[in-house]
Amino acid sequence: MTNTEAKTTLSVTIDGEVFEARPGELLIEACERAGTYIPRFCYHSRMKPVGMCRMCLVEVDTGRGPALQPACMLPCSDGMTVSTETPGTRKVQAGILEYLLINHPLDCPVCDKGGECPLQDQTVAYGPGESRFVEEKRHYEKPIPINDNVFLDRERCILCDRCTRFADTVAGDKLIHFMDRGNNTQVNTFPDEPFASYFSGNTVQICPVGALTARPYRFKARPWDLDETVSTAWTDSAGARVAVQSSRDKVIRLLGIDSDPVNWGWLSDKERFAFEALNSDDRLTAPLTRVGDHLVPTGWSTALERAVSLLSDADPDRVAVIGGARLTNESQYAWAKLAKGVIGTDNVDSQLADGLDPELVLGLPRATIDEACTPGGTIILCGPDPKEEIGSLYLRLRHAVVHDDARLIELTPTATGLSPVAAHSLHPRPGEVADLARALVEAANGGPAVSAAGVSAEEISSAAVAIDGSVTIIIGRASLAESADCVTDAALQLAALPGSRFLSALRRGNIHGALDSGLAPGLLPGRTTIEAGAARFADAWPSTPASRGLDTAGILAAAADGRIDVLVLLGSDPINDFAGRPLAAAALETVPNVIALDMLVNDSIAMAADVVLAASGATESAGTFTNLEGRISVCRQRVTPPGTARADWMIASEIARRLGFDLGFDSVESIRAEIAAVSVVHSGLDEKALAEALVDGLLIGGSGDIMVPGVVGVSPSAHDAYSLRLVASRSMYDDGVALRNSPSSRGLARSVTLRLNPTDFDKIGVDRGTVVRTESAVGRLLVPVEPDPGVPVGSAVLPWAAPGSPANTLIDPFSTVTDVRVERA
Amino acid sequence: MADPLDYIRGFGVTFKKLFEERLTLQYRGGKGKPGKPDEKREKGLRFHGRHVLNRYEDGMEKCIGCELCAGVCPAKCIYVRGADNDPDNPTSPGERFGYVYQINYLRCIHCDLCVEACPTQAITESKLFEFSFTNRNDAIYTKNELLVDDNGKPRWLPWEDWRDGEDEHTSAWMRATSPAGDHRYEGVVAWSGELGHGVRSPEVGQSDSADESSRPEMATTEVEQ
Ligand code: SF4
Ligand code: SF4
Ligand code: SF4
Ligand code: FES
Repeated sequence: MTNTEAKTTLSVTIDGEVFEARPGELLIEACERAGTYIPRFCYHSRMKPVGMCRMCLVEVDTGRGPALQPACMLPCSDGMTVSTETPGTRKVQAGILEYLLINHPLDCPVCDKGGECPLQDQTVAYGPGESRFVEEKRHYEKPIPINDNVFLDRERCILCDRCTRFADTVAGDKLIHFMDRGNNTQVNTFPDEPFASYFSGNTVQICPVGALTARPYRFKARPWDLDETVSTAWTDSAGARVAVQSSRDKVIRLLGIDSDPVNWGWLSDKERFAFEALNSDDRLTAPLTRVGDHLVPTGWSTALERAVSLLSDADPDRVAVIGGARLTNESQYAWAKLAKGVIGTDNVDSQLADGLDPELVLGLPRATIDEACTPGGTIILCGPDPKEEIGSLYLRLRHAVVHDDARLIELTPTATGLSPVAAHSLHPRPGEVADLARALVEAANGGPAVSAAGVSAEEISSAAVAIDGSVTIIIGRASLAESADCVTDAALQLAALPGSRFLSALRRGNIHGALDSGLAPGLLPGRTTIEAGAARFADAWPSTPASRGLDTAGILAAAADGRIDVLVLLGSDPINDFAGRPLAAAALETVPNVIALDMLVNDSIAMAADVVLAASGATESAGTFTNLEGRISVCRQRVTPPGTARADWMIASEIARRLGFDLGFDSVESIRAEIAAVSVVHSGLDEKALAEALVDGLLIGGSGDIMVPGVVGVSPSAHDAYSLRLVASRSMYDDGVALRNSPSSRGLARSVTLRLNPTDFDKIGVDRGTVVRTESAVGRLLVPVEPDPGVPVGSAVLPWAAPGSPANTLIDPFSTVTDVRVERA
Repeated sequence: MADPLDYIRGFGVTFKKLFEERLTLQYRGGKGKPGKPDEKREKGLRFHGRHVLNRYEDGMEKCIGCELCAGVCPAKCIYVRGADNDPDNPTSPGERFGYVYQINYLRCIHCDLCVEACPTQAITESKLFEFSFTNRNDAIYTKNELLVDDNGKPRWLPWEDWRDGEDEHTSAWMRATSPAGDHRYEGVVAWSGELGHGVRSPEVGQSDSADESSRPEMATTEVEQ
């Protein structure tokens, strides 16, 4: 009995008090849990300790007399005695600080870190009080840009190895490193190679001094004039938790919050700097109406009157709503109620043919990020490149693979950001991933390995052997040039792996909230269908749709045919975002009336909208967000919306009122109360639970009434020898309207190139940089080619929504795969 | 019971005052009308009046936009925003300069904490307190009003009552208390030169000085009461 107890905790005496530490726990952590803060610079709880700065030296006695030891490197042991306040400890702390300050400039008044600087704070608390150093300090050129957004001031650097460790061990972008020796040691990039990392902003956040500063925040304010609230990042579906900081009613900085189940304090630069778009001068401050070719500002009553008259004149079956992933859960619910309950149309879709069958996402057993990252487990990636699309998820997955012995098996059409650490990268021919999945599952279940989808039998059998432990399958759209049905079929094959769970990698903002709110054809809020859930909504809603409506591709095809009278763009831009630009353009040209709710005028709005209602942004309205696990977290209002822009749910309420119905909402809380009342899965969603789960969020589990769909049975057309099969994949920075309005990010969109396997170059007779005519059945583009050995022979990879060369020009949303002819232009 | 004679004694004080010199002064009383006095009392050298933003001798602005003055201000009447200096045409030495600088004189209590907080001696106070406004905008001084002119002298604004010579003394309080009022540094020049004035001589410090004779020459302006 005593033996097992002795194994579970270790008795450590900290300044005379006995504390029970966990086995393997570092002394610095145990002391912190016991309420004794040990000063530190280099130690960071999410990275391996390196013992660089020596600030954490404390007197430790393990039976051989007290000796100074770094608390960040020392695991607790039973019977250890620690003294953090002895004269010896104090003397070494003062000595380390004096040593660090020898070369540290007196920059505090002009330093962005001043006021929140660990070096300042710890010098005040533990420092020697006065300097004895009168010699000249070391000098370097003042801040040098190490990439487009981050500046490095080497004079201020205390060589703690946090930024370099982050770049190497967390992000996997080993592009900054220590250079030179001794007194000249400095952090720097490799010559002519910038710190081109999607995660560079994290180094600014974790630098314990002001050596790294970020352009968007540089000199904008000081810590004492910031107001802050906890909220959720909105640019992708990871739902990373952030602190939104504002000064003078303007958001000027986002910091990652360490949420254990989600983002561990990290953010991608897109999440971190996306607030710039909300501060754009082009933000809509009032509604617009179309007068001739122009959209002109107008008052709310005029705009709403016009929108309402369009809606009330139309037959409900001829009304359609596209979009909704930008909205909070509450606004999504209000819009679902307005569209499906009041107007009575089921032509509602929040995905733009860039997602998956909602019943697949909601019906399959779901994994959390933590479950996906189980140490020693297996992760099968049958979806997009997380590094390009969901940065926070990428960092978690990478950690699991690199540091926790998880095995990653990729079933992706081309190499991804995780390929360097993947155990097996299998690249099926576009459209044939289901065949590969079937072969893999058969091999894993003991059957013979056969080659499939262009992947050899050996590769499949060795990957099959690696499947072990907990199995999580990440599903999403690796390529928007092949249909979602390919992924459906692959996922259903992989579901046969014992114990497998699925993590959705749908990327678009709050898309999982939109699916949970019923913003998809055939669904009602709370993971139910119009057939199964109708009875539950009988009291709360005026009516529910009787039959399943159209999805976005169906809506746009109907609109192009003249069968849609009013199209509502709920924060969507079909021209740029829909997988099929020719169809989207035809639809917007034909459809007589378009009502848009948005923050900025995007291309679709500029082309077709008749009324634009100014919506508030993520930092300007309260609500909740549902991430890809189904985790609900709070978004809080930090600043006031520009002009008269207002929350989307308020606009829904107002339209409903003018249509003669009261949605019954006067606050986001009242909407949440209704969601909790009508939804089977959201019954635990109450204000108290939300407040208690402020950092980690509230996981909403269960499939509700949703059944897993059946196999579609895709059969891509035969591949002729003269064409290449197109892979259109998203990159972190593209030509979206939000990025166009973010000064720090808009220059980062990659120049567009068509990437081919080098062996295909000779066949087509091109060299690197040759401009080629790329022609599909529906469109054509002129782009330069680039060799990429990560692309399988016979495929061609084009970035999605690249500036000037939109890949969706080539895509027919109703065909399984997209074949392109590539010729010299 | 009060002694009835106390009333008489009280009136005695009033009566005596009738024959003493009057302390009331006529500020701009007559606006130049003949026969009306136009007096202004001499103020202490270290009087806390309206601020100025100083320049270095080469004309560069001293303010670096650090917001320490705004941070320390108990009345929260200072608004500062920093920005990057243009490397080819810098406004102040170093990376950062005060891009926006505003003081709201409807709130300022002239405590001079901003002056003490300023790491570059950019902000100091002149002796002027004779300024009044008829609208709120005039009361919010921006860099245009606060920054000294090309000769290093405060700008005389239409609603301010400056007299010749008054604009000389714009940093006496700072010189008296710098640095940190420590008597060991008393008399030691510890601030940078100012446009129009050069390096000014130190003021006598506030703290107890150990040895009166060790003090260097002090500013000589007589302080009248
Ligand atoms: S890093 Fe900290 S101590 Fe160093 S100059 Fe900046 S604020 Fe001052
Ligand atoms: S730049 Fe900052 S994080 Fe990087 S080593 Fe220097 S002090 Fe540490
Ligand atoms: S006046 Fe001084 S304290 Fe105020 S912002 Fe300028 S430099 Fe900083
Ligand atoms: S925190 Fe332990 S050595 Fe730096």
